[in-house]
Amino acid sequence: MAITPERKQEPVSPKASKPKSAGFKPIGQTSSALKRFFPADDDDDVIPKVVQPQITHWVPEPSAQLPLRKDNLIISDTLPRGLPPKPLTPLLPPKPPPPLTPIDFLPSNPIRRFRTISPPHVVENVVEKQPTPPPVAFEEEQVTPVGHSEHDIHPPERVELYAIVSQVGEGTFGKVYKARNTITKVHVALKRIRMETERDGFPVTAMREIKLLQSLRHDNVVRLYEMMVSNGSVYMVFEYMDHDLTGVLSQTQFSFEDAHLKSLCHQMLAGLAYLHHKGVIHRDIKGSNILLNNRGELKLADFGLARFYHKRRRVDYTNRVITLWYRPPELLFGATVYGPEVDMWSAGCIMLELYTKKPVFQGNDEIHQLDVIYRIFGTPDPQRWRGVGDLPWFELVKPREAMPNHFRELFKKWMSPAALDLAERLLAYDPEQRATATQAMAAPYFTEEEPEAALPTGLATLEGEWHELETKKERARKRRRTEATTQ
Amino acid sequence: MATDFWASSHYKRWIVDRATLKQARADDVQYVDDPEYLDFLSIYFADLISKLGKKLSLRQRVIATATVFFKRFYLKNRYCETDPFIVIAACCYVAAKAEESPVHIKNVVTEARSLFSQDIYGIKTFPSDNSKLAEMEFYLVDDLECDLTVFHPYRSLLTLCRKEGDHEEEEAEAGEVGVGIGVDEGPRYWGSGDGQLQLKEGALQTAWFIINDTYRSDICLLYPPHVIAVAAIYLTFILDKNARATVTPLLQSSESSSSDLPQPRRSSRQANHADASKKVQDPIDFLAGLNVSFPLVATIAQDIIALYKRWERYKEDEKPSPLGSLSAGMKRSLSHSNAGTPREASVGADAIVTPGFLSSLLLKMREARWTDIAHPGSGRPVAVNKMLERTQAVG
Repeated sequence: MAITPERKQEPVSPKASKPKSAGFKPIGQTSSALKRFFPADDDDDVIPKVVQPQITHWVPEPSAQLPLRKDNLIISDTLPRGLPPKPLTPLLPPKPPPPLTPIDFLPSNPIRRFRTISPPHVVENVVEKQPTPPPVAFEEEQVTPVGHSEHDIHPPERVELYAIVSQVGEGTFGKVYKARNTITKVHVALKRIRMETERDGFPVTAMREIKLLQSLRHDNVVRLYEMMVSNGSVYMVFEYMDHDLTGVLSQTQFSFEDAHLKSLCHQMLAGLAYLHHKGVIHRDIKGSNILLNNRGELKLADFGLARFYHKRRRVDYTNRVITLWYRPPELLFGATVYGPEVDMWSAGCIMLELYTKKPVFQGNDEIHQLDVIYRIFGTPDPQRWRGVGDLPWFELVKPREAMPNHFRELFKKWMSPAALDLAERLLAYDPEQRATATQAMAAPYFTEEEPEAALPTGLATLEGEWHELETKKERARKRRRTEATTQ
Repeated sequence: MATDFWASSHYKRWIVDRATLKQARADDVQYVDDPEYLDFLSIYFADLISKLGKKLSLRQRVIATATVFFKRFYLKNRYCETDPFIVIAACCYVAAKAEESPVHIKNVVTEARSLFSQDIYGIKTFPSDNSKLAEMEFYLVDDLECDLTVFHPYRSLLTLCRKEGDHEEEEAEAGEVGVGIGVDEGPRYWGSGDGQLQLKEGALQTAWFIINDTYRSDICLLYPPHVIAVAAIYLTFILDKNARATVTPLLQSSESSSSDLPQPRRSSRQANHADASKKVQDPIDFLAGLNVSFPLVATIAQDIIALYKRWERYKEDEKPSPLGSLSAGMKRSLSHSNAGTPREASVGADAIVTPGFLSSLLLKMREARWTDIAHPGSGRPVAVNKMLERTQAVG
């Protein structure tokens, strides 16, 4: 709504007005970072070859419509599969100018900051033709890779390409690849945002993850270096992590000592404490979303389900979150009003899993999931969990008979008393009694009980990389083998 | 509490200076008679975004984000080479998703089509196909460099001020990203540390509306949102009658008694305040206590006033003024369109500009641009000339 005209006509030189010198002067202090992207002469070779030549072929069109052509639509079934079409080729010599394609035409700016990825085989070809830029700049880059740091300035002559090495996972909205920067040889994880299956364009989950990750910076949260666009796909470029927790717990080469497990647990809680402080609930804590590198560092990943939550106001959220085995009982009872406590239950599950090496509550469906939890922790009742009876689905799925709590006797062969204490606090039925991440980090398990936490640096000696994806494949192979032998 | 403005891409990459803005419009300006038309286009586009947003029931913050997206996109693109209408639709669509209130793509297409084809705009070419919008969305996100978090002055306003009688503002709401007021009270904390300024409801409304209005200019690209909020509060004390009534006596007293010694006078008032702090709050002290650049606040205030002056001349319902005849002139220029710019009469200083006029201006700009590219005066395509210049410059 606009200020009404009579208000606009008010004389606007009040007594309180500021020095007359204040006029339309350009703001001096922070000159625009964007300026870099505008075609100063030295910027010209950023990607002029992509943008400029096509225009020569441009013939005026009476229609006011965008020159979009079906065969170049990005979000169509014609999306490049298998043999990709010629990629946007900033690397190839400018002549002869390729015919105008709408894709090249529309964002008609010579300032694309995104670098182009090409599929591996194309990369190889292209790189040979390309005089390799001096590597010095890149080593620096590698220390503080771009993202939103001061290192954002991409030297114009720089051509960065990633060659995909292998697939390492399947995210909420697309495949995750291990890729190598062909110049620095540094590995990154590329998460491709699947667009072709999305009728609604850019997936909301991806957008959410991008926004969240751009605002997060913590040692125990995976770093999003940058975003890239190539061949009609959007890629998120992450720091590369050698393993995920599910994969690394399933291998037998390297065995974790208690000090290591304590460190992993502590790092996970530190990551969660940071997220919750930032007002973010992760909502999908599970083994395959907890990544490890060979230095023994743990980072939380996959924010496709995460969201900001209201710290003061209680708001309804969907309860269709968190992988079943890690889902807290209140969600299984249909709660839609919840907070960061849901992550803490998952964290408790992970803590147990660290010791037992496999997921503890492996339910087949929601009802069975509750049942599996009851078998260990007993059935909830109003004494243990005030208000459980008020949850939406309680009447539908409430326990038929009371069961006692067997937790400590079942787990004492794996865990120390202080560890059991902490796990019990994380896996409290009543969300209000559940330990927060910060409280958990102050537990005697970390502060008093021996041994002290120690990074599992020995992971560096571990051969291979361990991700859930391989573990799953391995399991499937085994299953097939046993099926074959039993038949 | 969600995010820190100072660490954001908004602050680091998307606050630009005037030279950058000028550069971004350098090509467009060749195709208009009067550079001022480009400022009118800003009003026109922001108005369309706001209307489309309202049809889609988007909240004001989402509309503001869409507007910022639009402006960022056109830092890198030219009006005369793109279809701003599909860009508008895509901005609303992306902003709705980015601000956690998604709308259905079909809905956006339908509403955009019906809005743009209204007589006052006369744009009948909006595609009815979802995939066009989805494709545009992709380009948009690309050019936005996936920086989807935008900070707005609204939150700063609500952090700085509260309605008279209300209690201290509740904690920053998660999801609505940050305020810029240093959460951790680091060195960049810019608040006064004095709590909040109490405003009458009407005054708070006025400040809010002023902020809405800033999106009809480039202010949101030029200045950090919290300084814009301060400028809006400052202008509120001038534009809002009631709010002005509260400061006028203060100004007079300080003027009459202390023309030589303003410093002591002000501080003695502050001292008095300590006794009766609850009762009277001196808005001038409050604003003066903020750790922001006041020349910058004054500059923004000037920009806003300039916007209002311009805006008075932008009339939706006006019968086409003499220059509205451009649509007729356009047909003429279609036949011999080698002239780069429209040849209509230049604008008088107070001539009325209508949306219809701007719609046809856009069309005309685009046609002239295409003509230039295909048949430039030099006999060689413009783009190639540029290429040559570039290659010469490089090598």
